[in-house]
Amino acid sequence: MSVPLAALPDEELSVLDLADRLLNRGVVITGEATISVAGVDLVYLGLNLILTAVETIAQREARAK
Amino acid sequence: MTRLLAHAITRRATGGPSTGLRGRPLEQIAAGELDLWATRWDGEPTLSRDDAFAHHDLIAVLCDAGPCLPVRFGTWLNDEASARRSLEAEQDRFAAAVDRLGDRREVAITLLWLDAPSPEGRGHAVAPSGRAFLERQRALNAVTDERRSVAEALFEGLRRDLAVDQADVRHESCPSAEVALSMSLLARRDAADALKARATVAVGAIEGVRGVVSGPWPPYSFTADLETDGGG
Repeated sequence: MSVPLAALPDEELSVLDLADRLLNRGVVITGEATISVAGVDLVYLGLNLILTAVETIAQREARAK
Repeated sequence: MTRLLAHAITRRATGGPSTGLRGRPLEQIAAGELDLWATRWDGEPTLSRDDAFAHHDLIAVLCDAGPCLPVRFGTWLNDEASARRSLEAEQDRFAAAVDRLGDRREVAITLLWLDAPSPEGRGHAVAPSGRAFLERQRALNAVTDERRSVAEALFEGLRRDLAVDQADVRHESCPSAEVALSMSLLARRDAADALKARATVAVGAIEGVRGVVSGPWPPYSFTADLETDGGG
């Protein structure tokens, strides 16, 4: 089961927006740097991040009930 | 093995925070006119969601101290020598970007369709036939084209209402079935809260969508200009 984004509180949506920027934006240092986010539990491209994070939230809520 | 997890690039600074992520040492690596701020990291380079937000908190502190260019989360450097070489190789480009962003902050606007398709419809319980798949994709694309036009009109309306310079706005229309618009605005630090307040009023007046205004944050969405215009 997934929760529609429009049903989430503003705070949750702001956190997801911020996470999307941290993972997908910011300057990329080229040359001798490597970008690796292995191990991050919500690493996806673009707004797929939001979809997956919402599903995680839904699972957490389901377990709590 | 020891590595460096990069956080931000600033002009040469005389001081700053000394603690990086998870209480590890924060290194200030100088090259030419710039400093790279990075956490010294012993052991496995695995990161968590909390690390991502700690990276954000650290960048916010650096941005409060002066002009600052956020580095994408998850950027690893082998050692200080490779960090210096990376900075030196793009010294002019990074310095121009730091100066261009100055003390400015990012305010984010996200508009969500109130009548978005059900999230359950995103997946397939059973793989459709080829023809059914194509017909379904064509129907989805038709909806998307119509919605994209509406989203673009919403963007233009917001940009006009908020009187933001074209160069200080980034947007993406319909990045997913549920999101109408993802928009980022750049504002001077001392004007960012006022812009956020105006944006909150403006999105609240739009029918058919729910608007969320976030920030101010460091200017994450405005570093991409480096790829196209050299920071001008």
